[in-house]
Amino acid sequence: MKAVETEGLSKIYTGGNKAVDNISFCLEQGEVFGFLGPNGAGKTTTIKLLNGMLAPSGGSCRVFDIDPAQNPEKLHQMSGVITEHAQMYDHLSGMDNLIFYGTLFGRNKADCEKRATALLERLDLADAKQRKLSAYSTGMRQRLSLARAMMHSPKILFLDEPTSGLDPESAQNVNTLIQELASDGTTIFLCTHQLRYAQEICTTYGLMNQGNLFATGNIEKLRSMVSDKVKVRVKASCIPEDMECEKIGEHTYDISVNSEEEIPLLVRRIVGAGGDLYQVSAEQLSLEEIYFSLIDKNHAETECGNL
Amino acid sequence: MNTQQLALMKKDIRSITSNKRVLTVMLMVPLALTIVLPSVLVFCITLVPESTADFQKLLEMLPVSAEEQNQEQLLLGLVLNKIIPAFFLMIPVMASSVMSAGSFVGEKEKHTLETLLYSPLSLKQLFQAKIMAGFTVGMLVSILSFAAMMLVLEIELFFLTGSVLVPEMSWLVVLLLVAPAISLVAIAVTVRGSAKAQTMEEAQQCAVFLIFPILALVISQFTGILLVNSWILLGLGIVLAVLAAALMKGAEGKFTYERLLK
Ligand SMILES: Nc1ncnc2c1ncn2[C@@H]1O[C@H](COP(=O)(O)OP(=O)(O)O)[C@@H](O)[C@H]1O
Ligand SMILES: [Mg+2]
Repeated sequence: MKAVETEGLSKIYTGGNKAVDNISFCLEQGEVFGFLGPNGAGKTTTIKLLNGMLAPSGGSCRVFDIDPAQNPEKLHQMSGVITEHAQMYDHLSGMDNLIFYGTLFGRNKADCEKRATALLERLDLADAKQRKLSAYSTGMRQRLSLARAMMHSPKILFLDEPTSGLDPESAQNVNTLIQELASDGTTIFLCTHQLRYAQEICTTYGLMNQGNLFATGNIEKLRSMVSDKVKVRVKASCIPEDMECEKIGEHTYDISVNSEEEIPLLVRRIVGAGGDLYQVSAEQLSLEEIYFSLIDKNHAETECGNL
Repeated sequence: MNTQQLALMKKDIRSITSNKRVLTVMLMVPLALTIVLPSVLVFCITLVPESTADFQKLLEMLPVSAEEQNQEQLLLGLVLNKIIPAFFLMIPVMASSVMSAGSFVGEKEKHTLETLLYSPLSLKQLFQAKIMAGFTVGMLVSILSFAAMMLVLEIELFFLTGSVLVPEMSWLVVLLLVAPAISLVAIAVTVRGSAKAQTMEEAQQCAVFLIFPILALVISQFTGILLVNSWILLGLGIVLAVLAAALMKGAEGKFTYERLLK
């Protein structure tokens, strides 16, 4: 069974705004899926479609083989969702909030209290657990939301910008937690702008722009969509004169090869030509670079299409 | 009602104390209608004998001839059993509508509704729990107000006239039928309004219109056009109950996730 499966999923809001346009993708269980795209790309709309909050205008989706539009209650029992507008009660303490949401999911109070205590501890909120939410900072609220979404040990977590508003340390903490969850088999659907963190924790990606899902796959696949070359940075006393390269510094060169397999050949050539090697590193395109170049490409394509 | 719904209901009822505006309405309206107003009427009748003249027309309409009983006692009975019940109906209306406005639109305003929607409770179950919260609070406030009123009124009467006054059967009809029914009507109206309303005030305004029929009832008591008795109240209660059922049915269909999240 796939964790998420969509088939030509579309959403047109009343007023004709095509927020999600015919997207199809599959998500295996236990994957950490980075759903990336600029503001207004349709990420939040997709999360709402996948949780039955919106009825699709076209196509279909299934989450753990449940149709969210038909059977939302059943799905909600096994999904946890964080979005910007899913807040908690200001007049209750962090602990009481978690216990309340735990009981909504049918857990008894003692269980809830135990789980809430552990989660608060894990998210560095133990000191603030008796404080009312009105005294929480944005970052604390975000972390409490994560605890809330995990109260019923969901099989899949939908996280819409879970680290926005967090300081780097808390963000790192949240990311580690997400990774731990994933290694326990929880499927994670993660919308984020923080590409550097995404690259650390995601196993596959979906890139959205203006409602279009224009690229999916793991980072190698995305990389090959941008360029199939590998850039190798070499620090050497000298390199063969006929070698195509770009000189970066005094003894530093960038050399482009077709695949990682060519790197040993390259090294042998330099050494064979009498060069002393100090450093060789394969410079892979980061997610950030891939993202921007793919987004640019997509913009260019859609503009061509519009003309 | 399952335990999840009960948890939601409890949370809603407890949250009254955290909302100053809701709390004020819950306390002030009953205080004015069941303590201040009856006391003023009782003091007027017993301490200012001339005031009975104002009620002469009412007395003439009563089936008992005025000579049979002490006029003062008659008047007090009139106030307790005809006039106050009409005023009293404002209490369930106010309490229930303020409560449901808070629990429906309040959640929307504070962005906590979306979180509830992601819970495994169905929309219908959420809806039921919230209605029950409004209804429970409406009834609780009504019954407590009635008890407080009787206590205060009987003590006043005892000291002022030396005897107590037994409420008529009509009070039983009011408490057990009319008040619950009108409370449900108020909730249904507020809930329907809250589907569109963006703020608590907007949602509450819908229920304000229910005050007008009650005022009409109050005025008719003073002018003696239609004095309530158990039968009239019974009829009124049944009509309201049917209306509440119809409104609820209509309101339930209006709720979809998409509409609620707008
Ligand atoms: N309730 C709504 N009604 C109409 N348009 C909406 C609504 N919600 C979002 N949109 C529009 O749909 C598009 C996608 O929005 P959204 O899914 O929130 O994007 P993202 O989460 O990727 O920033 C945007 O153009 C946004 O303005
Ligand atoms: Mg968004």
